[in-house]
Amino acid sequence: MKRGFLQSRLLTVLFWLAMSALTLLPVWWMFLVSVRSRADLFGKPSFLLDVSAMTWDNYAAVLANPTFQKYMTNSLIVATSNAVLVSVLALLAAYAMSRFALAGKDNLFFWVLTNRMAPPAVFLLPLFLMFTGIKLGDWSLFDTRLGLILLYCVFNLPFAFWLLQGIVDAIPRELDEAAYVDGASTFTVLTTVIFPLARPGLAVTGILTWVFAWNEYLFASTLTSVEARTITTGLAEFVTVTGTNWGQLAAVAMLTLAPAALVLALVQRHIVAGLTFGAVKG
Amino acid sequence: MSRVTLEGVGKSYGAVTVLKPLDLDIADGEFLVLLGPSGCGKSTTMRMIAGLEAITAGTLRFDGRDVTQLHPRDRNVAMVFQNYALYPHMTVADNIGYPLKVAKVAKAERQAQIEAAARKVDLTPYLARFPRDLSGGQRQRVALARALVRSPGVFLLDEPLSNLDAKLRVAMRAEIKHLQRSLGVTMIYVTHDQIEAMTLADRVVLLNDGAIQQVGTPDEIYDDPANLFVAGFIGSPPMNFLAGTATGGQFSAPGITGLPCPGTGQLTLGFRAEDTTVTEAGRFTGTVYEVEPTGEATYVVLQMGPHRVNLRCDKRFRPELGTELRFDLGAGQVLFFDTASGQRVR
Repeated sequence: MKRGFLQSRLLTVLFWLAMSALTLLPVWWMFLVSVRSRADLFGKPSFLLDVSAMTWDNYAAVLANPTFQKYMTNSLIVATSNAVLVSVLALLAAYAMSRFALAGKDNLFFWVLTNRMAPPAVFLLPLFLMFTGIKLGDWSLFDTRLGLILLYCVFNLPFAFWLLQGIVDAIPRELDEAAYVDGASTFTVLTTVIFPLARPGLAVTGILTWVFAWNEYLFASTLTSVEARTITTGLAEFVTVTGTNWGQLAAVAMLTLAPAALVLALVQRHIVAGLTFGAVKG
Repeated sequence: MSRVTLEGVGKSYGAVTVLKPLDLDIADGEFLVLLGPSGCGKSTTMRMIAGLEAITAGTLRFDGRDVTQLHPRDRNVAMVFQNYALYPHMTVADNIGYPLKVAKVAKAERQAQIEAAARKVDLTPYLARFPRDLSGGQRQRVALARALVRSPGVFLLDEPLSNLDAKLRVAMRAEIKHLQRSLGVTMIYVTHDQIEAMTLADRVVLLNDGAIQQVGTPDEIYDDPANLFVAGFIGSPPMNFLAGTATGGQFSAPGITGLPCPGTGQLTLGFRAEDTTVTEAGRFTGTVYEVEPTGEATYVVLQMGPHRVNLRCDKRFRPELGTELRFDLGAGQVLFFDTASGQRVR
C-alpha cells in the first residue's frame, strides 16, 4: 500500500515537472536569447546560462527606444482603462439583473453570453469597416486607444458580467433591504454594501480582463497602425525584411510578459477565491 | 413613534391573492404581534409596512399620512430581520451607525448616538468587532441597536428570535419586551411561535391563509377564540376537540351525553386540558390511552370514541393504561364551534 502510494506520488511529481518544463522552457529560452549579444546568438546553442557572457544591452536598447515606450504606454492605458470600465459596467449590469424584475431577464442573459460564442475573427472585417468608415470629420476609431478600449469592452463584458452575476447573486438580498430600511438609496446600497462585498470578484474580473486586453493581438494588429499600437503587435516589428533583431525581440517579449506574470502571481489566490465565490452556500 | 393604520391593505401576484384586504389600527406605542403558521401572510404584511413589498390594494397610513407608495427609506421605520442582515464588512459600530451615516449625521454626533444605542443593548465592549466574531445573541443585539439608533416611528421585527437557542430566546424575549416598554415605541413583531406572541404582545393578530382570524389581547385570543383555527393554534397542548351532534340544546359525542349547548346540528366541542378535573362524579368518560409526566404536571391522553383528548392532572397522578377515567368541566370552560364553518357558536 505504502509502495503504491509512493509510486503514485512519484508519477505525479514527474508529471508536473514535465508540464512545468514544457511551459517554462520557451520562457527560459527567450530569456537566454534576451541576455546574449548578437554574436553569441549564432554560436553553439545551449540551455545553460553563461553568466560571464551575459549582457543587458538588449534591454537597455529596447527601453531607450521611443517606439517601444509608446507601445508600452498604449498597452498600459488600453488594458487598465478596459479593466476599470468593464468591471464597473459589469457590476452595474449584474446588480440590475440580480435584483430587479426585468422583462425577459433570462433571455437577455443568454443573449449577452452568445456574444462570446463566435470566434473573434468573424467580427474582424465588419469591425474594420466600422472603425474606418464611421467618421467625425477626419477622426475615426481606427488607430485610436479609445477604439481598442471600447472594442475590448464589447468582448470582455459578457465574461465579466457572467462572473459578477454569480457573485452579486450570492450576496443576501436582505442586506439590500436592511440598507433600504436604514435610509439608503439604490446607489448608496450599491456603493456601500454591494461594492465592498463584491470586491474579491471585482478584483478577479479586473485582473482577467486586464490580462486579456494586454495579451490581445488580433484586433490590435488589424485596427491600429502607428499611434495606438500595443506592445504585443509591436513585437512583430522587430521582424523586418532586412533581418530580425532576435536579442531585442526577446527582451521586448520578456518585458511584455513580465507585468501579466507579476499580476497573476500576486493575485492567483484571489482569482481562485473569486471564481469559486458563492459556489457553495455558507 | 407612530400610529399605523392598514385600510384594506392586500397583496396579489396577478390573479393570485396572497393576502386578503386587512383592516388594522395599531396604536402609538403598542406592541402588536402578527402570529400564524408558515405561509399565512404575516411576513408579507410586515414587508408591506416596511415598503419592501408593493401594496397592491388598500392604503397604509402612518399617523394619518398616506405612505402606501413611499420608498422604505422615506417611511422612518426600522427593521430587524430574521437572520439579522448585518453588514459583514462593517464593524459593530459601523453597522449600528449605518442609518446615521446614510442620513449624513456629523461624525461626532454619530459616534455619541452609536455609543448610546450600544449601551442600551450592552454592546459597548464589542463595538470594534465584526459580526462574524459575535455570538447569535450578540448579533441580534447589534440588529436591535441598529434599529434603535435613529429613533424610528415604527419598529418591525421579523422572527428575530428564531435563530437563537431556547434559553437565549427566553432571555432575549424579556429584553425586547422591556426595551419596548421603556422606550414606548410602536413595535410590530412577526412570529410563528405562540408563546412569543402571548408573552410579548399587547395585542395579537392571528393570520391564516392570508386572512385575519382574530385580533385581540393574548387573554382574549386564548380564552375566547373566534373559530376552530384560533382555538387549535393557541395553547400547548392544543385545545381538545370532539365532534358531535346537538339536538334540543343537548350535545352528544362519544363519551359525552346531555351536555347543554347553544345551537343545533353538527357541532364541535372544545375544551382545554387545564380546565378538566378528574373525578368519579364526572359527566364525561374515556379510556386511558397514554400517560405523559412532564415534571410540573401529568398529561393523560384519553381515548373517547374516534377522538383523543388531553387532561392536565396532578404531577403525581399515574392512572393505569386501559382503565376508564371520568372527568368534568366547569360551565364556562366549554366552547362550541360549527363543525362545517369552524366558526364559534355562542
